[in-house]
Amino acid sequence: MATNGQLPEELLRIPQPPAAKNWVRLWASITFALLLLGLYEALIGAPTEATMGIYQRIFYFHVPAAMIGFLSFFINFLASIWYLLKRSPRADALAIATAEVGLAFLSINLTTGPIWAKPVWGIWWTWDARLTLTLIIWVMYVSYIVLRQFTPSAELQPRLSAALGIFIFAAVPIDYMAIRWWRTQHPAPVILGGKNSGLDPHMYFAVLCCEIAFLALMATLVRFRYEQEIVKHWLEARRRGVLLTQGELGVTDQGPGIRS
Amino acid sequence: MSFVSLTLETVKRDLRLELRTREAMSAMLFYALLVIVIFSFAFEAEASLTTRVGGGLLWVAFLFAGMVALDRALGREQPDNCLAGVRMSPASRSAFLAGKFASSFLMMAVTEAILLPLFAVLFNAPPTAHWGGIVGTAVLGTWALATNGTYFSAMSNYARQRSLLLPLLLLPVSVPAVIAMVQATQVYLTGEGVAHYWLKLLFGFDVIYTVLGLLLADLVLEAE
Repeated sequence: MATNGQLPEELLRIPQPPAAKNWVRLWASITFALLLLGLYEALIGAPTEATMGIYQRIFYFHVPAAMIGFLSFFINFLASIWYLLKRSPRADALAIATAEVGLAFLSINLTTGPIWAKPVWGIWWTWDARLTLTLIIWVMYVSYIVLRQFTPSAELQPRLSAALGIFIFAAVPIDYMAIRWWRTQHPAPVILGGKNSGLDPHMYFAVLCCEIAFLALMATLVRFRYEQEIVKHWLEARRRGVLLTQGELGVTDQGPGIRS
Repeated sequence: MSFVSLTLETVKRDLRLELRTREAMSAMLFYALLVIVIFSFAFEAEASLTTRVGGGLLWVAFLFAGMVALDRALGREQPDNCLAGVRMSPASRSAFLAGKFASSFLMMAVTEAILLPLFAVLFNAPPTAHWGGIVGTAVLGTWALATNGTYFSAMSNYARQRSLLLPLLLLPVSVPAVIAMVQATQVYLTGEGVAHYWLKLLFGFDVIYTVLGLLLADLVLEAE
């Protein structure tokens, strides 16, 4: 790690690990409050939809989960490019954090979808364009996580996964075309969808609440996961530093003490 | 040496190794043959089945066979740490990867050339089938599998279970190519529908991933 980035040496000079600060608690509390508001708006606040009834309420979690999940994957793509340009461990930490969190959000989307579809369409799943595309993107990011787990070398992990991140992102537009030619059944977009689409203003408000709540949740989770990776790098750098000092002094029997 | 001659040297070396050992080709052929035979038992091979899902059956067999070739493409470099020798040479990594791509493509194409007539006989291909179109689709589809497969074969080369990782990486990214090759083959088998936009999609996929693979070749072939 020390060879492909400036971070470990930089961290080595810091005696304490980059610990969670007080603002994290504040941030997490705000996220929690936003999620509660989103839940209230989705279940009680928003008016009941005319034809689908209460089943439509799952939409307030279903759509924001997809949007925030895809946003997370887009950040993963940017972080992959950032890693390839700068070889910074920070970029790699951001990439792994956004991939995992994006996968969690897309899993929410892919589970709420069938729950809605069963009463409304009468089937759990159909190989329609959007469903298929979402499922494929989900599978591709699972393979991204699998690659990291199967690659034992900590030096290779960031490089290979950055390359895969770019390959995956290149596949998305091609998938989009292929699947659209293949079939279509998903309801047409109601947000920014054209003339006859649209939502009740209160429904808009509920969607917006959930959207912001999920965005805050994504930021919190990514931040936690990112710091976890940085601490991992820090520990590794410290360990190497300690081994180095012991080697220089000829000390071999000194326990895992940390210089500070 | 130029890029092209380096690529050709890699291809010649791979084919020479393959001709001496025949490890990949014989395994591929037998494996794909087994897939076709198992399919004919599993799905009651009749002419009606072929007109409905023939393209899918053919490509699943090709895909399994191709996976063997692609796994061997970089797996062949493991004994005696050959890849370290390749890395030490001043030759460009892109040329090495391009050579690996070309040799995998050739091996897959030869296997498919043997399998295609067998498939036509065992699955009673309809007389209306347009074989020129099927061969054209096979060329474009094999190109798609070989270019991504070689890259992911290099990527999975460092993993603990490389043979398991390769399909996990290759298949999801290749989904659009798989859809296109199956659909185009189906059109040419039955003579119904239009195939040209599937071929365009396949060609676009090939070009994008060939360029991307060659540009990012250093990432998967650099020293550990």
